[in-house]
Amino acid sequence: MATTISGVALLLLLGVHMFANHFVVRSVGGLRSYRQVLEYMRHPAIFTIESLFLLVVTVHAMLGLRGVVLDVDPSRRAQRWIDVGLTVLGVLTLAYGYFLIGTLASRA
Amino acid sequence: MNGSVPGADHRAERGPVLRKGVGIPGSGWFDPRGRALGGFAFSANRVTGLGLVFYLYLHLGVLSMLLFGEPTWNDFIRLATSWVFLSLDVLLILGILYHGLNGIRVALVGSGLVADRQRALWWSLGTVGTIALIGAALHIFGSK
Amino acid sequence: MSAADTGGRRTYRVYRYKRGEPGWRFDMFDVPLTRTVLDGLRWIQLHLDRTLAIRHSCMHASCGTCGVQVNGREALACVTPADDLGATITVEPLANIPVLTDLVVDMREFVARFPDEIPSLRAAEQLPEATPLEGIDAYDRFEDCIECGLCLSACPVSATSDAYVGPAALAAAQRLLEEPRGADTDRVLEWADAPFAGWRCHAAFECTAACPSDVRPAERIMALRGRLGGRGATS
Repeated sequence: MATTISGVALLLLLGVHMFANHFVVRSVGGLRSYRQVLEYMRHPAIFTIESLFLLVVTVHAMLGLRGVVLDVDPSRRAQRWIDVGLTVLGVLTLAYGYFLIGTLASRA
Repeated sequence: MNGSVPGADHRAERGPVLRKGVGIPGSGWFDPRGRALGGFAFSANRVTGLGLVFYLYLHLGVLSMLLFGEPTWNDFIRLATSWVFLSLDVLLILGILYHGLNGIRVALVGSGLVADRQRALWWSLGTVGTIALIGAALHIFGSK
Repeated sequence: MSAADTGGRRTYRVYRYKRGEPGWRFDMFDVPLTRTVLDGLRWIQLHLDRTLAIRHSCMHASCGTCGVQVNGREALACVTPADDLGATITVEPLANIPVLTDLVVDMREFVARFPDEIPSLRAAEQLPEATPLEGIDAYDRFEDCIECGLCLSACPVSATSDAYVGPAALAAAQRLLEEPRGADTDRVLEWADAPFAGWRCHAAFECTAACPSDVRPAERIMALRGRLGGRGATS
């Protein structure tokens, strides 16, 4: 259920992210220069959307990884460690991602 | 009759279990041999999902270059606008489109609403995805 | 030449396993082209190797006992034509169920996965133009599922875990919910609302593709999930 809900949210958030970073700026591949990235991150709405996108994509990725790993039929004990490991990985991913977002927004 | 049927001593043993896969436990989902459309769609969904997880961390690594200032990032952008990298961008969009659109199919089918239309959904969403991919590729390559 | 022999030849590559012998192997047999794969296997049994163990009964896809893998795809051997399978036909037992011997699997492990109650009867369809006999309001018929095990063999999730109850059991549970006939539906839902039951399916639809009896187990599992979701699933 959580995978489905995060997936549906991702359709919108990822759509905005991909469109903004590949189809808006007039450059090769739509890629943003350093200053364009900072200008992009300055907008409160963009900051919010990208923060939410990071959260949702990390949750979806961890749940997806969990689904794949469960198919090796781990023991109950191993499954608990897998859950702990993926939670830690998810938290670290979010921590670093928010550090990046926060740093870039503060430079804007 | 003395009851010595061949193999009777081993009757209680659990026999071998055939598993589809590539010989590694848990790889049954990955083996495309003998699969129908739904099985292929499931395998491809997982492959694209794992690819996108890999890309997530690659992307965070790449974005870390922003921390080192304008010259470092702009050097990367020069590399990222080469034909090879633009092709990888198109491959990324293929993965995103497949995983996203098949995800819609799985969500609709899994809810029980349109479970008997799973093949039709695959083809119709696949058509939408193909058109979107062609458009994206034309835009990305056309910008070079 | 019997009615089943129609000219031409095929090579049968057949999985062999006997209790007490080390490991398993494939044996190759040169067989005249027969109408069905089961005919070919029986020809091998009669003319080449009497120790080949196969299971079959009705010869017309209604008992489900001759389920095997033919060239990697699940099939009922009695109705699988042998003429368009290539020059070499590989026959293996069903996957995900322990092998007893050669092409025979231990169906006890398949049946054990079902919920306590298994539906056997359902309301029969009636043509609009049919005229029922006087005094009879409705007709019943047997359920579509012939418990052949092809769905369990085809399921990619069952390939990874023996704890998963499998498509047949889940489809049976959904049938009980569709036509309870006095079954305890709450208990059925509780049985299905478990990590290795209704929530383990990944919607690969291989079970429906393999089913020879129009049970459509994948669609039934999705409908079952719809009910579980509406119930406020805990898993």
